Amino acid sequence: MSLRALLFVLLALAAPLLPRPVAAHQATLGVLEFREMRPGAYIGRWTTLPKDSENRIELKMPAHCFLRLPELNCGDKGLVGQMTIANLGEDMSAAIIRVTSLDGKTNSYTISAANPVVTVLGTGAPTLETWLELGKTYVNLGIDHILLGADHLLFVLGLIWIVQGGWRLFKTITAFTVGHSASLAATAFGWIGVPEAPLNACIALSIVFVGVEIIKQQRGEIGLTARYPWAVAFSFGLVHGIGFASALAGLGLERRILPAALLFFNVGVEIGQILFVALVLALIWAHRRLGAVMPRWGVELPAYAIGSVSMFWFLGRLARVLVAV
Amino acid sequence: MSTRLKTTLLTCLVWLAQSGIADAHIVSARLGDFYAGALHPLLTLQDVLTWAALGLLAGSLGAASGRWLVLVFPLGLCAGLTLAVSAGVAPTSPLVDALSILMLGLLLASALRIPVMLVCFIAFAIGMMRGAVNAGELTPQMDRFLYGAGLACAGYVVITLVMALTLTVRRPETAPISSWRGIAVRAVGGWVAAIGLMMAGLSLAP
Repeated sequence: MSLRALLFVLLALAAPLLPRPVAAHQATLGVLEFREMRPGAYIGRWTTLPKDSENRIELKMPAHCFLRLPELNCGDKGLVGQMTIANLGEDMSAAIIRVTSLDGKTNSYTISAANPVVTVLGTGAPTLETWLELGKTYVNLGIDHILLGADHLLFVLGLIWIVQGGWRLFKTITAFTVGHSASLAATAFGWIGVPEAPLNACIALSIVFVGVEIIKQQRGEIGLTARYPWAVAFSFGLVHGIGFASALAGLGLERRILPAALLFFNVGVEIGQILFVALVLALIWAHRRLGAVMPRWGVELPAYAIGSVSMFWFLGRLARVLVAV
Repeated sequence: MSTRLKTTLLTCLVWLAQSGIADAHIVSARLGDFYAGALHPLLTLQDVLTWAALGLLAGSLGAASGRWLVLVFPLGLCAGLTLAVSAGVAPTSPLVDALSILMLGLLLASALRIPVMLVCFIAFAIGMMRGAVNAGELTPQMDRFLYGAGLACAGYVVITLVMALTLTVRRPETAPISSWRGIAVRAVGGWVAAIGLMMAGLSLAP
């Protein structure tokens, strides 16, 4: 056996010994029922509960509600807003919350690792206050999602790098926005569905592609993105939009509030994206003003950095796909 | 396909399949602690004042001096944070913070032509001080690398933008310091020095 083959065998044998996250815990389900006794006032109790866990569960109700089981008082606004369990996974893996309103109608909401937050719209026609609350929640969520999503920002940064501002940049970013808005809506309404693992690998690959395009441009070649930036931005925008939908999918939205939530979420994403683009353009202007440019030997470093980080993500995500297969 | 390539590919695949870092997906690629590091100094008066004053000072000295700080100041922040975390260096006192603001204000108001090396030294020293102070906000649950990256990025953004804006206000660079633009920048230096003096007085109050 050659040294190389021996090394391979040793690596293969050692691989299972590597530390892996331990996910084993007792799979338990809790059921909490709330019954409305008078407008906005509920009596609740756990009808199913993992053993001795009642005092440890951190149930979070909308901010205007006061909860001290069995009492839940939400005042005139009623039970409207987001509910979650802060320490889900410690004592229970999922919880079903049943809310029975005064008219006898019951709605069930499931909180789980995949659906960590549920949004309750309340019974009857939504009021202006409800819409404002919904708007505030989902605009913030959209801003949060884009600004905390390093992969999306890196892709936008790559586009700015290639297109370099002006009218072309406006068209490119608009095409990206149209692309991700369309696929976000299609995914949220259930018209299309893509498994998360390969999708995430594709998102990482889109950034690798942009990294390669930057290098091409710096070497004087005219790549696809430099030639048709809006088409590339639109195409990859479709992929990224499905990724944005994953943020909404975990919120257990009621069907009737989905269009509004989607709209507000998208507005939030756009606000975050505009802030990021403005910051990058301001920094480009500042660097030009200061004459702070990369030395000749380092011109390609940022593109390689973008490419390396995204390739790292891609390989990691690809490994997930392969493991799942 | 050569045997070497096959062996390498197989080895990579096995390692990737087992690797603990292969969980980077759209959610876990999030950078919560990055923003904690970036936003904390922007919400602290001492940081905002010191960073802005340093940017004004470097910008008022011209692009040739200022452009070095694009790198030097974030590096100073990282060095201070690393030192504070690894060696347990205590954060500076409020008096030292106030005196550094006073010094920057006076330098700006006096419009002294400071050599590039000295500006870089001041920026690095102030970066280290502020980095060490910001390390105090690190909790055991936080990712130190992301927090430090956020802090350095915030330092880079603030110092770069303030320097460029100051340069724009002072345009053209050859304009005499007695021009109204130069006087405006020096007046801001006077205010910074006054705030530094007040903060020093407050920190000495019993």
